[in-house]
Amino acid sequence: MLTSTIAAISTALSNSGISIIRISGSDSLNIINKIFKTTYKIEPNHIVYGKIVKDNEVLDNVLVSYFKAPKSYTGEDICEINCHGGNQITREILELVLDSGAVLATPGEFSKRAFLNGKMDLSQAEAVINLINAKTRTESKIASKNLSGDLSKKIKELREELIELLAHIEVSVDYPEYDYEEVENSYVISLLDKKIDETSKILSTYEQGRIIKEGVNVAILGKPNVGKSSLLNRLANYEKAIVTDIPGTTRDIVEETINIDDIILNIFDTAGIRDTDDVIEKIGVKKSIDKLDEVDLVIYMINVEEGISDNDLKMLSKIKNKGIKSIVVINKMDKVKKSILDTILSELDRINISNAIQISVEQNVGIDDLKKCIVDMFNKNDFDFEHELIITNSRHKDLLKKSLQYLEEAKNEVNNMQPIDIVSIYIKKVASTLGEIIGADVSQDVIDKIFEKFCLGK
Amino acid sequence: MEYSLGNYDVVVIGAGHAGCEAALASARLGKKTAVFVINLDTLANMPCNPSIGGTSKGHLVREIDALGGEMAKNADKTFLQSKMLNSSKGPAVHSLRVQSDRRMYHIEMKRTLENQENLDIYQAEIVKILVENNKIVGVKTKIGATVYAKCVVVATGTYLKGKVIIGEVSYESGPDGVFPANDLSQSLLDIGVELRRFKTGTPARINVNTMDLKKMEEQFGDEKIVPFSFENEDNEEIKNKKQISCYLTYTNKDTHKVIMDNLDRSPIYSGRIHGIGPRYCPSIEDKVVRFKDKERHQIFIEPLGAKTSEMYIQGMSSSLPEEVQIQMYRTVLGLENIKMMRPAYAIEYDCIDSTNLKLSLEYKGIDGLFFAGQVNGSSGYEEAAAQGIMAGINASRKIDNLEPLILDRSEAYIGVLIDDLVTKGTNEPYRMMTSRSEYRLMLRQDNADLRLTPKGHEIGLISDERYNKFLKKKELIEKEVERLKNTVIRPCDEVNNLLEKYNSSKINTGIKLSDLIKRSELNYNCLKEIDKKRKELPDSVIEEAEIEIKYEGYIKLQLEQIEEFKKLENKKLDKDIDYDKIKGLSLEARQKLNKQKPLSVGQASRISGVSPADTSVLLIYIAQNGLK
Repeated sequence: MLTSTIAAISTALSNSGISIIRISGSDSLNIINKIFKTTYKIEPNHIVYGKIVKDNEVLDNVLVSYFKAPKSYTGEDICEINCHGGNQITREILELVLDSGAVLATPGEFSKRAFLNGKMDLSQAEAVINLINAKTRTESKIASKNLSGDLSKKIKELREELIELLAHIEVSVDYPEYDYEEVENSYVISLLDKKIDETSKILSTYEQGRIIKEGVNVAILGKPNVGKSSLLNRLANYEKAIVTDIPGTTRDIVEETINIDDIILNIFDTAGIRDTDDVIEKIGVKKSIDKLDEVDLVIYMINVEEGISDNDLKMLSKIKNKGIKSIVVINKMDKVKKSILDTILSELDRINISNAIQISVEQNVGIDDLKKCIVDMFNKNDFDFEHELIITNSRHKDLLKKSLQYLEEAKNEVNNMQPIDIVSIYIKKVASTLGEIIGADVSQDVIDKIFEKFCLGK
Repeated sequence: MEYSLGNYDVVVIGAGHAGCEAALASARLGKKTAVFVINLDTLANMPCNPSIGGTSKGHLVREIDALGGEMAKNADKTFLQSKMLNSSKGPAVHSLRVQSDRRMYHIEMKRTLENQENLDIYQAEIVKILVENNKIVGVKTKIGATVYAKCVVVATGTYLKGKVIIGEVSYESGPDGVFPANDLSQSLLDIGVELRRFKTGTPARINVNTMDLKKMEEQFGDEKIVPFSFENEDNEEIKNKKQISCYLTYTNKDTHKVIMDNLDRSPIYSGRIHGIGPRYCPSIEDKVVRFKDKERHQIFIEPLGAKTSEMYIQGMSSSLPEEVQIQMYRTVLGLENIKMMRPAYAIEYDCIDSTNLKLSLEYKGIDGLFFAGQVNGSSGYEEAAAQGIMAGINASRKIDNLEPLILDRSEAYIGVLIDDLVTKGTNEPYRMMTSRSEYRLMLRQDNADLRLTPKGHEIGLISDERYNKFLKKKELIEKEVERLKNTVIRPCDEVNNLLEKYNSSKINTGIKLSDLIKRSELNYNCLKEIDKKRKELPDSVIEEAEIEIKYEGYIKLQLEQIEEFKKLENKKLDKDIDYDKIKGLSLEARQKLNKQKPLSVGQASRISGVSPADTSVLLIYIAQNGLK
């Protein structure tokens, strides 16, 4: 329990200037070394400047401080990443930390560790116990509310067939002489594939849940001078440029939050929406597409004066292929030239885009149409709360992600022709990981299932 | 007239599989020991199936052996057939099972007890346990003798208020027609031991001369016999023993019809049996009712001995009336004309709530009173013997003022068994299964000696001679693993031809021998030709070395899990803690913790009703006390 390395965002999630991600545990420094590139030496009680790098791409320029055990808040090795505020970037770095070996801290866990490691005095201890209890109670209230509904039903369904498979494997192991057919590898593979599919689907709803809770991530793309900045300002209903260009910060993703009819739009600045440089030309279509992983909606702007370029068309089809929702906006309609507009429309038609919105940011024409289009696209009523399961809890998401990983490993073992009892180690892990979401004990479930399904005995 | 049979260190009540191991362990550890049994001819009896071992049970037998117990050696002396089950699966679930000569098993075990120094054997029924100031004083026999003792091990099996039920008939009886122990239950209640009632059953014994074995499938033993006891690893006599076959047949629609037509006469379905029976050995009635779609059920015909015609009908235990049983058995292929020698019966008996025990198997609140075997709510000879040896060891250690021997879940199936019984408790007779172990890959039957021989030696049940032999084996294994990891095989025609022969991909550069062994299509033996420096090694050494290499990755994974597990096991909880006084525990957790008094936070976390939040509170409490 106290042996894992934990991490969490230690500052309130908001669009503040700076957020802190705290990592505590013996693996802290290892994790930092994996994701943090710096030219300085990391030493205890020093702050070091450098870059957080994921897949060779810089996520953010940050300051990292290192406190060596026992001289730290928790009494363990602690690393803190001071990154630039904003939900998106902070969360992305946290996820990277979690992917690199840390586990998400539970509420009060840093304090609990601090106490257990003798970093707090006795008078504080009582308070910690109360805190943990309070947290757990609220948590369990929320959890039980969640559990009475779709989530637990869905997880149970997901788990049920795995438990049955395990029971089948265990029965062939514990009662080898009974005339139950051995589990066929092909059956195991097909079931694992099915579970991988189901788990991925549930996982993907985390994104939907996130949209409801935290808003739609929007990128406005288009050639330079097409009017992206102006559109942003228009949507945000204010005139001044909003770039808070802190020197040395990432220019990649800075957020602007806009509220339209109760739908929150987080406008991404994908490498210089407001830049005069042509992003697409500069870094290439593919790379800019890759940047769109976190984006729910692309507003693609075309200047009716300039017409549509090959790159525009390439970008648009790639966005479509990636399954990202998009709205094409034709700007500067106040300066429309009919022939160019017709070409644009017919080119768009060629790639099956027929609902381009014609606007003039400058004249404030068509902005309401655009807003309406966005609202229609992300109307909350679209999510069938009654029937569609939505994962909103990041603990649940983590557990599902882990389950997915074990499912893949199980499949690997089957493909490597490992004996079924070895494969079952991984399937058991999937079942127990899913069980953590609904609070169930695998071994008991499997044994119950064996006796329910199979007829055995003297 | 009041008189005494003497003063003993340890008195064992009952001489079944638990009682025998308990008595032997205690006597071998130098304690003056007496064992009492209602009928000496039932010592180490097998009132149910005539076999030892099986999945996970075979693991228990080998663990008992590694600790210095007797069951494995006795099984080696008296087996009729030997089989390694699951040999086509991974090494974690290979399980040894033998068919035993029931009578010879009894005779050999009795002789071992008779020849044991420090051990007296009495045929007598114990009717009273004497306790003063919550401390054991001794026991009293039915004839009136008092026996003084420092510790008492209760190993009464299914004898306590035993009641046999066959159809509409029921009568007081122990198993196999032996007298029950009717008075001891009251004495246990008087000293404050909670009792409850469990049920089990056994099928009929049928004369083989009235069967037509030709109609059945013959089931042979293994060609290569693996002895149970590690002491017998090189025993050629055992390995070359001539084996006797078992036979397989099936029930059919007619069988099921007889059962359904007479269901109202079954005591279970008419409500005359109140005890809780195990799900894993349901009667044939249960199977037919619960699994209506199954057209046939397997029936194994197993010999009771080399010099008897009685056969055990595995798969058809029943409590239907005798005449229905005869009708039912005669529907089975090959059993058309059978004569039944002993009818099937159900038996109800008193047992204790095992959560009232400590992990040492001592009863909480009564100093020196230990319980072992079926009376604790378990089932099976092997489960009983495992508890027996542990109770015997711990009674002896208590007298010597030593810490009890407690095996944890990562060390042995014995640890899983006792922790499950004591910490989680059971609502039905508890059977061991490999799926109950979290660390199955570590708790293999082949490495039971590696896991437990050092403990057996330290306790004093493993001789220096055996221990030294063990150390030599261990060294050979380590050296061979080392050699395989350091031997590089260069690519050449000979090597690649061999690889091709086994459908294994060829090599272009040098590769470690251990990496070749890791390939699933290859193994240690098939690489002999290209392993030029290989020396002759015993099979048991090769097996260990090969498993260690082949499953290295998984073993590493389990070791990591075990390390995590140990951290909480090592957070000890004092037995004097008043959980009502710990703020933040849930009400249910307080009650359960106060009742069970777990030894560690790890054990506490396995008690049902203790949530992860409660576990956190306990961790904090411990840390808080450490700081004081």
